[in-house]
Amino acid sequence: MADHQSEAIFEKQPVWAGGRSPFNVSYGKLMMWLLLLSDAFTFSSLLVQYGAQRFSNVENPVVTRWPEPAAIFNHFPGLHGLHLPLLFVSLMTFILIFSSVTMVLAVEAGHRKHKKDVVKFMIYTVIGGIAFLSCQAWEWSVFISEGATLHGNTFGITAVGQEEFHKLKFGDHFEWKDEWRTHGPVPFAALFFIVTGFHGFHVFTGVVANIVITIMAARGVFERRGHYEMIEKTGLYWHFVDLVWVFVFTFFYLI
Amino acid sequence: MEFYNKPGDYDAINYVPHTESHGTKELWRVFLILLGITIFDFAIYFALDPTGWRNAIFIFFGLVKAYFIVGAFMHMKNERITLALVILVPIVFIIGLILGLLYEGHALTMTK
Repeated sequence: MADHQSEAIFEKQPVWAGGRSPFNVSYGKLMMWLLLLSDAFTFSSLLVQYGAQRFSNVENPVVTRWPEPAAIFNHFPGLHGLHLPLLFVSLMTFILIFSSVTMVLAVEAGHRKHKKDVVKFMIYTVIGGIAFLSCQAWEWSVFISEGATLHGNTFGITAVGQEEFHKLKFGDHFEWKDEWRTHGPVPFAALFFIVTGFHGFHVFTGVVANIVITIMAARGVFERRGHYEMIEKTGLYWHFVDLVWVFVFTFFYLI
Repeated sequence: MEFYNKPGDYDAINYVPHTESHGTKELWRVFLILLGITIFDFAIYFALDPTGWRNAIFIFFGLVKAYFIVGAFMHMKNERITLALVILVPIVFIIGLILGLLYEGHALTMTK
């Protein structure tokens, strides 16, 4: 009776009076959210730096020409020498979004406490992450082989190049001509490497975390613990990586 | 929603709220939306000339994608409003940073 009474009194206490989680989340999940918030600041400072550099060059084409992203990232493995802008990055975007879906399906399976489904979807997610990293490695190697460095930029597009470039249609034969290229704004490739590299590093750490929790789930650690919250926490991280890619894709490739 | 009703029962470090599956239908719907937007971006890229308006469309769709990823995949819609505000309100500073540095970028043009 007395117990009942104290319960009733406690329930009337405001959420912030103590003795309960005011956000109704676990400690670990709250900390993951805060990590992601600070990471959002890191990525946005990098992207905003890119934006400022680009804005500073946009109205001054005589001195420096900002490179045309569609003229640089237009390759597709196996289809050599064709002008296919955006195709490969769209594939990468699809891979990452799909691995996000398998991740959220793993979280859902965790809510059902269905160990087999969790492991299955986590393996799909890991495969998606590795596929994305492989795509990025290929793209970097092509970009570097075409002359990208951290301290220079030979992708600045000339007026002639711009004119010729805009005549190109999707799927046309493409080859750089010397008179199309000039020295462009130096930070272009450096910012590309820093931002996509930092994002790729996040994908890499995400893949490592996913492998670890896949093994833990397969060995029944979460089953014994009674809940699959660890999948949700790494899931948050993984979706964040996908979220960042949405903006990298928008600012580096689309705009 | 689950509370530890008796004072002293609550263990701040090990507390994990009870969760239930909401099914996968909504998740696949969100996936199709994200896929559709990406395809739409691809189409717009070739259909429109590169102008500020096209960029505005891309940024708008980027934000729509962000809404769906955070809301549905990261379950922000199911979280308490207090937690959502704690995470989302500081983003205001990012908007400030964007406006500030784009303005500075413009000013940098003059020095080149």
